[in-house]
Amino acid sequence: MFSFRYVLRETGQNLWRNILLAVATVVTVGVSLAMFGGFMLFQVAVESATARWQDGVEFIVWMNTDAGTDEDSSVRNQLGESPGVDRWEYVDRAQSYEEFKEFFEDTPEVLEIFTAEGVPPYYRVVPTDPDPDVVEELGSQFKGKPGVRTVTFAGDVIRDVQNLSNRAGRVLFIGSIVLLGASTLLILNTLAVAIGNRRPEIEIMRLVGATKWFIRVPFMLEGLVQGLLGAIVAMISNSLLRNYVIDQFSDADGLQLLAGFKVDDAAMLQVNLLVVAIAVGVAVIGSNLAVAMHLNE
Amino acid sequence: MIKMEKVTKVFKGDVVALRDVTIDIGKGEFVFLVGPSGSGKSTFIRLLNREDVPEHGRIFVAGRDIGGLSGWRVPYLRRNIGYVFQDFKLLQKKTVAENVAFALEVIGKGPQVINRQVPAILELVGLSRKMDRFPRELSGGEQQRVSIARAFVNRPLILLADEPTGNLDPTTSVGIMRLLERINEIGTTVVMATHDSSVVDSMRQRVVELDRGMVVRDQARGVYE
Repeated sequence: MFSFRYVLRETGQNLWRNILLAVATVVTVGVSLAMFGGFMLFQVAVESATARWQDGVEFIVWMNTDAGTDEDSSVRNQLGESPGVDRWEYVDRAQSYEEFKEFFEDTPEVLEIFTAEGVPPYYRVVPTDPDPDVVEELGSQFKGKPGVRTVTFAGDVIRDVQNLSNRAGRVLFIGSIVLLGASTLLILNTLAVAIGNRRPEIEIMRLVGATKWFIRVPFMLEGLVQGLLGAIVAMISNSLLRNYVIDQFSDADGLQLLAGFKVDDAAMLQVNLLVVAIAVGVAVIGSNLAVAMHLNE
Repeated sequence: MIKMEKVTKVFKGDVVALRDVTIDIGKGEFVFLVGPSGSGKSTFIRLLNREDVPEHGRIFVAGRDIGGLSGWRVPYLRRNIGYVFQDFKLLQKKTVAENVAFALEVIGKGPQVINRQVPAILELVGLSRKMDRFPRELSGGEQQRVSIARAFVNRPLILLADEPTGNLDPTTSVGIMRLLERINEIGTTVVMATHDSSVVDSMRQRVVELDRGMVVRDQARGVYE
């Protein structure tokens, strides 16, 4: 039977005895998880800003709000028959309005002006060849067709944003993975020191009949506490990043592209839950390695 | 209470610590293990506590074959066996009472049991007035009393003592032996490895002599040599 009071007391004492090492571990776990969280938040923000342009979509054929069935079928047939079109997706008025509401959720004055009837349906088109000239030529075939309002292209800016985001994301991702590896080793090392400091107690515990888990749990809990404290550091960092960096982008006047550059509450919660899950994973791996390597009951 | 059947223990490099040992120790017996250094006394004790397992033979403690005991059951075996060390092995940052309570706490006993049993055992070993002292504030004999209190606080069936008077002067040793005798009188089986001839001669209990891993003498109410 476990005495929770004993386990909590021993865990606290272990942390306090190696306070400097414990702080170093928490900071390293926190920084690595903050980097990972930052990577995730930027991915979410870029995806939000370029939502219509994901998965290789190079141009969008916007229909008139009053386009008839014949006009719609004509565009549809042309998309289906064109050898330059790899695939396409129709976004109807209701879906388009949902996207619109999401895009301008922070600008209620815009939402007040438009209703679902005022928002056009559209076709997202993925060409077989992403070459800008080919895309331009292909998209232009739809301009001026009956029922077509306009054709917009992904253009260099959006592709540049996506490319930059992908590259920066990769660096952040690789950096955070390396640091998470270091965090695991630091947790392992902190626990190895704690186990070493308590060697005489552990020997007594073994001989008086303490079970393997009774001996192990305070050390494993110590690793878990370090991981969770690191997760709290990362969540604070995520919150600051969202409120003072990402939201500043989306508030920037005149940058239409960045209007959708934001992280909503649901995405924030998902990122934070992922950060906590990774912290628990790192702690469990580090702790298990430490007790397996240094505690031979 | 303890039974060994043709037990052989071999360490790395083909060092034979115990060879074909067969012995039967009854409940409530007091047994001295004597013999020169390296004769196998400590190995004998370590096998009883399942710190080691023999290469051949079987060991029974309280009727149970401990050789076949799975790892997770070993702690439960040890709760029935107290262990007293030559160097006391007290935790220096804990008080006398905390050292004794530690043995109960780590096997999951609650505060009520601890608060009842710790003062009682400290009374038995004569350290009631020093329960808040730290080990460094005690004499060698007193530290060994704490060690015995810790080993006995859970009221084990068997008490193993490996040279418990090895670090003590003769007068203090007498006090420790009186204490072990009292514990034995309560009904606990005591097995004590020792080099101390005066202790063995004064007690006149059963003596098992080991030499190069073999039992060369097993004498009721014996002497050291």
